[in-house]
Amino acid sequence: MHSRITVVLKAEQLGSVFGFPITNSLLMAWTVMALLIGFAFFFGRSLALVPGKLQAGVEWAFEGALAYMTEVLESETLARRFFPLIASVFLFIAFVNELEFFPGVGSFGLLHAGNFLPLLRAPTTDLNFTLALAMISFFTIEITGIAALGFFRYAGKYVNLTSPIGFVVGLIEFMSNLGRLISFSFRLFGNIFAGEVLVLVAGYFLPYFLPAPLMAFEMFIGLVQALVFAMLTLFFIKLAIMEPHEAH
Amino acid sequence: MQQLFSAFGIDWRLLIAQAVNFGVVLVALWYFLYQPVLRTLEKRRQIIAQGVADATQAREALAGVDEEAAMRVKNADVKAESIVSAALAAAAIEKAKLLKEAENRAIAVNKDAETRAAETAARARRESEQDIARLAILAAEKIMKQKHD
Repeated sequence: MHSRITVVLKAEQLGSVFGFPITNSLLMAWTVMALLIGFAFFFGRSLALVPGKLQAGVEWAFEGALAYMTEVLESETLARRFFPLIASVFLFIAFVNELEFFPGVGSFGLLHAGNFLPLLRAPTTDLNFTLALAMISFFTIEITGIAALGFFRYAGKYVNLTSPIGFVVGLIEFMSNLGRLISFSFRLFGNIFAGEVLVLVAGYFLPYFLPAPLMAFEMFIGLVQALVFAMLTLFFIKLAIMEPHEAH
Repeated sequence: MQQLFSAFGIDWRLLIAQAVNFGVVLVALWYFLYQPVLRTLEKRRQIIAQGVADATQAREALAGVDEEAAMRVKNADVKAESIVSAALAAAAIEKAKLLKEAENRAIAVNKDAETRAAETAARARRESEQDIARLAILAAEKIMKQKHD
């Protein structure tokens, strides 16, 4: 154990390939990707008409999510169209957040110039990952809004020249829309990073008693944050496709 | 802004790499997981709908069969009743016919017996008369013979 608590805000670079930086969060993202895709591959091949327990659970989750999305978007077609995006956002973030507390993550690493570099770091504690997801959500929401309403009607939500108050409200809407990029990325980053720091501090002060319950709590928080990110993307898509007068 | 980016380690190359990572996950999960699961759900929904439709059809067919069976039983009852009554009528006619024939035959037998009895009596009488005549002749001959002697 280190004699002092070291908190590193950015992901540590392990090396580089052709000038491209390989960070520990990128390595963890690839690990989670491999696990997720591997699970999906084998699970998808073992599907049966009479389901086992795991398949029944997955089907229950899929049907529940689809039913909820249909209710929110008020269209089964739209729900089916956006289901892969929303489900992938949730699964990717949830897997990352849960695997963060598995043995080996953050504890195996390299010693470089006297500093410990963990091999794996939860990508949700790297702003590059959360910002990338936030940008994907943001552009999906905006493109969906433009596709559903048309460019001018969608822009009319933010540029309202009918009255001074309407203009100001439109401007505020526009700023809050842009602010989603920051709120999306920093909410996820902040929550997971803070949880990690909390567990680290607890491990420093009460190493045998406090970290385990806190880790369980942080695993729960990780699931909640994955759900929040996916739900907010869904709700903002709904807001984007609503007519301007309905959206307020 | 540059300091903020540097503090959080924001690098456009890593940003793109993480976006690509998510894209790969999205496509792979869509191909390997979402599509197969949704297809299985749809297939099962179709099978259940087909099963329900088949069950409804079978129930309707069964109700039709019950109705048909009841109608057939009813028809059979009516037919059986008519057959039995026709048989009874035919039996009555046959019985009367047989009785008549038996009666006629008895009368004929009786008549025949009476005729034969009358014939026998007449023949016996004729034979008795002949015997008496012969005996009378023999008696007369005897008397005449005694007188003659």
